[in-house]
Amino acid sequence: MSVLAGKELRIVGFLCNWCSYGGADTAGVARATQPTDLRIVRVPCSGRIDPLFILRALLHGADGVLVSGCHPGDCHYAEGNYYARRRLEILKQFLPVLGIDPRRFEYTWISASEGQRWQLAVTKFTQQIHELGAAPAFENAEKLIQIADMALTALRPLGTGQHAALADLKKAIVEKLPELDCVIGWQQSYDAAHSAPLFMRKPEDVEKLVWGPLNVNNLATYLPQYKGKKVGIVVKGCDSRSVTQLLQEGLINRDDVVVFSMPCEGTLDMARINQALGAYQHIDKVAYDEAGVSITADGKEHRFCMVEYAQGKCYSCATPGAVLADVRLGTPTPVTGTPATPPELALLDSMSLSERFAFWHTQMERCIRCYACRNACPMCVCRDYCVAESRDPHWLTQEDTATEKFFFQTIHALHLAGRCTGCGECQRACPVGIPILALRQQIARAVAQTFEGYRPGMNAKATPPLMGFTVEENNIKEKDWNK
Amino acid sequence: MITRYFPADALTKVVASLADERRVLIPVTQPAVKKSVIFAPFSAGMTVELHKASVAPKEAVLPQCETLLTYSKQKDAEDPSKVNLVLDDKPQAQPTIVFGCRPCDARGFAVLDRPYLDGPFIDPYYQARRKQLIVITQTCPSVGTTCFCHWVGSGPNSTTGSDIMLTAIDGGYVLEAVTEKGEALLAGMKLEDGAPFMDKAKTARGTVEAQLAPAPDLTQAQEKIAARFNDNTFWEEQTAQCLSCGACTYMCPTCYCFNITDEGDGVCKAGRRLRTWDTCMSPLFTREASGHNARMSKAQRMKNRISHKFSTYPENWGGEFSCNGCGRCINNCPVNLDIRAIVLAAINEKGA
Amino acid sequence: MAESIKTTKATGTAKKAAAKAAPKKSVAKSAAKKTSAQAATKTAEKPKTAAAAASTASPVIKEKAQAPAVHKAAQSPAVKEQAVAPAVATAAKAPAAQPAMEAAAAQPIPAKAAAQPAHNSPVAEATATPKAAAPKGRTSLKEISARPMKAGNPYTPMAATVKEVIQETGTIKTIRVVLDDPEQMAAFHYEPGQVGQLSVFGAGESTFVINTPPSCKEYLQFSVMLTGEVTNAIHKLSAGDKVGVRAPLGNFFPYEQWKGKNVVFVGGGIGMAPIRTIMLHMLEHKQDYGTISLLYGARSPRDMAFSYELESWMQNPDLDCTLCIDAPFEGWPHKVGLIPNVLTEMNPSPNNCVAVLCGPPIMIKFTVQALEKLGFTPENIVTTLEKRMKCGIGICGRCNIGGKYVCVDGPVFTWAELKELPPDM
Ligand code: SF4
Ligand code: SF4
Ligand code: SF4
Ligand code: SF4
Ligand code: FES
Repeated sequence: MSVLAGKELRIVGFLCNWCSYGGADTAGVARATQPTDLRIVRVPCSGRIDPLFILRALLHGADGVLVSGCHPGDCHYAEGNYYARRRLEILKQFLPVLGIDPRRFEYTWISASEGQRWQLAVTKFTQQIHELGAAPAFENAEKLIQIADMALTALRPLGTGQHAALADLKKAIVEKLPELDCVIGWQQSYDAAHSAPLFMRKPEDVEKLVWGPLNVNNLATYLPQYKGKKVGIVVKGCDSRSVTQLLQEGLINRDDVVVFSMPCEGTLDMARINQALGAYQHIDKVAYDEAGVSITADGKEHRFCMVEYAQGKCYSCATPGAVLADVRLGTPTPVTGTPATPPELALLDSMSLSERFAFWHTQMERCIRCYACRNACPMCVCRDYCVAESRDPHWLTQEDTATEKFFFQTIHALHLAGRCTGCGECQRACPVGIPILALRQQIARAVAQTFEGYRPGMNAKATPPLMGFTVEENNIKEKDWNK
Repeated sequence: MITRYFPADALTKVVASLADERRVLIPVTQPAVKKSVIFAPFSAGMTVELHKASVAPKEAVLPQCETLLTYSKQKDAEDPSKVNLVLDDKPQAQPTIVFGCRPCDARGFAVLDRPYLDGPFIDPYYQARRKQLIVITQTCPSVGTTCFCHWVGSGPNSTTGSDIMLTAIDGGYVLEAVTEKGEALLAGMKLEDGAPFMDKAKTARGTVEAQLAPAPDLTQAQEKIAARFNDNTFWEEQTAQCLSCGACTYMCPTCYCFNITDEGDGVCKAGRRLRTWDTCMSPLFTREASGHNARMSKAQRMKNRISHKFSTYPENWGGEFSCNGCGRCINNCPVNLDIRAIVLAAINEKGA
Repeated sequence: MAESIKTTKATGTAKKAAAKAAPKKSVAKSAAKKTSAQAATKTAEKPKTAAAAASTASPVIKEKAQAPAVHKAAQSPAVKEQAVAPAVATAAKAPAAQPAMEAAAAQPIPAKAAAQPAHNSPVAEATATPKAAAPKGRTSLKEISARPMKAGNPYTPMAATVKEVIQETGTIKTIRVVLDDPEQMAAFHYEPGQVGQLSVFGAGESTFVINTPPSCKEYLQFSVMLTGEVTNAIHKLSAGDKVGVRAPLGNFFPYEQWKGKNVVFVGGGIGMAPIRTIMLHMLEHKQDYGTISLLYGARSPRDMAFSYELESWMQNPDLDCTLCIDAPFEGWPHKVGLIPNVLTEMNPSPNNCVAVLCGPPIMIKFTVQALEKLGFTPENIVTTLEKRMKCGIGICGRCNIGGKYVCVDGPVFTWAELKELPPDM
């Protein structure tokens, strides 16, 4: 019988077999009164709990999820709960950006002998969930359309690469080419207002290399597929962080990659450029100057100032120069100030939880499940064996509901936790313009806040925060059930 | 054929009147930093604007996801020791109008019809929807930078796959029936006769036609691409940029590959068999349970995609390309991979 | 009337068309000859009109109209109206083709009937002349060969119940299933080599050859190697479980063309399953063929499916059966060696002989090389392919090799045909 008045709610408990499950048992044997809303799933260790278990429960109708494991230091497998603690904390900080009340999820540590503590925790948690009431269903969310305001102040001067040493770069590439399988750079795409990746194999290919604000693609995406071959890559500052991150994870070998870099002066948000250009048949002229680009299409001139039309990530970019490079050309750009919240995330910050739920539902409905977001991501390296399409484990169905689509985005974001460099390729690649970057940005923010300002892709030697732990965590506070 | 005219400001009203009796899919702009246009059902309060959609309207006949059948295991009424398998395979279909797609979208329906209706087997789900579909196509008001419809047998005024053509003229729109289905619908619409406006419509159509750059000769494409089939270096070079995401195929009006998966209730009592869009650009598409994969590399997959559109579909279905030249796969590709360039390179032609 | 007759390729020359018609004709005969179990066969009456005959010979005929199941191949870009003309034209050469109509008639299961209610004409109508029917007939723009096909919604499986499960090897199980509807079961007709999609609801479908000979009317048998989700679910089945069957799908072994010839079967591992169906079928009609030999190889004795039948195969005076395993194994009285080597040692004469092989791709590759060395021409080497399939009806785009779809244009191909296709297997 429930000790709480009113209807039972759906609460899922993931309990470690070695402690909390015993704690619950102890409470039961002692005939301690407990609410009955909880449905317990026994797991071998809190370290076995994939944050996706919790998210899936929450997105598919659970009103609350409680995780309980052994006290830090007491893990049956020595360290499982240390890792779990970091993951679960990041998950808790991730929930709000989805529109899920973080109080619907708690994690705690209870040993097999702490029957009373169990009783307290489960009673308090159940009470908390009852206060929140039944969780809103994602599928029933209202329609809500809001658009991020992309106007921001950049941390460094934005420009169009007028001062870049393109000729020197070409020379350097031609010199290195004989020892490389290919060098990856950019070339003009179907017209002069668009660029595309270029694979330089012969010296004449190098002629096609371009440098400028149209070079939006993060070419690091291609590197893992060349593992074992020697290749060169031309990078912007942000791309170099992806290269660094790939090195950190051993997905490429340092000796196999030659990194060519020039300081980046910002890239253009092609979504907004294409919008402004509208339907046109021919590009007559593309003219660059210090402040921006003038594109003449079908006789009509369009002016795009860098400060207005840069990609969101470029405004808060503190690494216009490469984090690592073998060939470094051009004059470094100065960076001043501290990064502001990126515009996509700022928009979410300005909303209430229910608005965020509604926002995401409205956005995700049009997802066509093409997985361009995943395949464009330089850090999504298991794409051929992605859980999105796996039947075992069966995380996702092929149904086209907003919930399934959104769940994939949370999987992607969580799998990138502590690894995502914020390059924005996922969002840029999305053919239907879903602003999915905010989810990654929130995780990046949570990682930075929790792990002393850690930023992925800055140091190839660092341990990614979710692959490690400290016995005492400075910024992770355990839930106090007495409050 | 019957023609009708209505003034520009009546557009939404005309669509609303059609929507009284059936689902009318119109291009709807999805506001976001990166806007997209998708086909969505018209509902009261919407204002109709006829932009070219980012995603083709193939959803009208081939939804992103549909239930092929539901199954349940039920105890036999007479003999409770017996279990019967109950299958429900009724197609979900409703009368639908696609309003304001472009000729390159409409030709997609003709391309899909062949394998789904004219092959050795008829697809009953597709058929149920196709039978109840009326396609009202806007003759293309402007040619885009990635458009190449006139290379592949379509064109800004092509009527293939359409029941009614809609042409914007100064101050209004002219509707012209192309099929009997279209004629029947127009006949029932209380609109002005379009005949007096036909000259203007023809002029408008002609203006766009005149904008087209000369098309390269693709008459040899089928054979030449087939002949390229074993040129692995060629396909590898052409595919180096590809990320194998499949955006190109999902946006395409003619791509029709699908997957079939079961979703059970977890206790083996009941469930559904789903059909969902799939993409031949994914390595999973042909991966077998044993791990063997006939199209392991992205070059093999691109070869399949290009060959299907320009060589094997024509081989199987009467010489028609299964590409309408809509350009969606070019401008929606995260790396702007240009199918035109691959085709031209394959047949050794210079770009137009 | 019947099902699925498939006409020759419209684009072929007249000569080619005629040549192709011949095999069909024999199919027809054989179908008609089949055992009484095939009730449907008996009902197949053979209209002797030239027009009827024409339908088989002509690429373009649309008699499908009245015979919902009949498959016609239209010519190329052919617009429907055009189709009529070629049909008439070919009618002239009709006489030779007569028996083909029987074949069509012999197939009890109307193919597109359900899918296309409008054209769903009663069986009786089937005898109408193609000419009359053509105008309202349905033309398939893509031709496939004559074959039995499943009636109704092509995606809907027939409900069936597992009758028996046989553990063949550590990873192979044989499942015998019976269609729940006794009428359906009685009318179920297929040709050796045709496949079925076996559904375990909740897990999905997977394609397997029906490896019982068509004369077996009590059950359908599939032999399944454990590889993935669906096969895993199949391996968990036991007698009484409900499954679904979509069958028959695909083409079949052109055994009518092999009459009077010697046949060498080569089966490797699970590849013995398709060989079993055609081999048993031919042994039932041994008088029509020359010598029939089998080389069946597996990695070890423990990997041999159908082990309980091997003894009777060895004893069968009509069959020259050779067994081999890859590496020596204690107590193994038969050959040891890789299939291509053992085959070379057996040294079968290519004269008037057809080699039929099935097995893993690597075995096929080397066995074909061995056969070619022995003098077998590509036309006389026949194999059946396994591909990942979903729809099984030529739409979903998964199983194609170039422009050919293994699910409708195959799975049975001659090596000559495969050589024409891109090496994308
Ligand atoms: S998740 Fe998005 S922003 Fe992060 S690394 Fe991947 S593509 Fe870049
Ligand atoms: S790229 Fe966009 S449409 Fe494609 S799967 Fe990702 S979110 Fe969905
Ligand atoms: S959209 Fe572009 S990157 Fe993605 S699969 Fe297609 S061609 Fe490749
Ligand atoms: S292949 Fe590309 S251009 Fe051709 S129809 Fe499809 S999306 Fe349009
Ligand atoms: S299995 Fe779908 S096309 Fe062959």
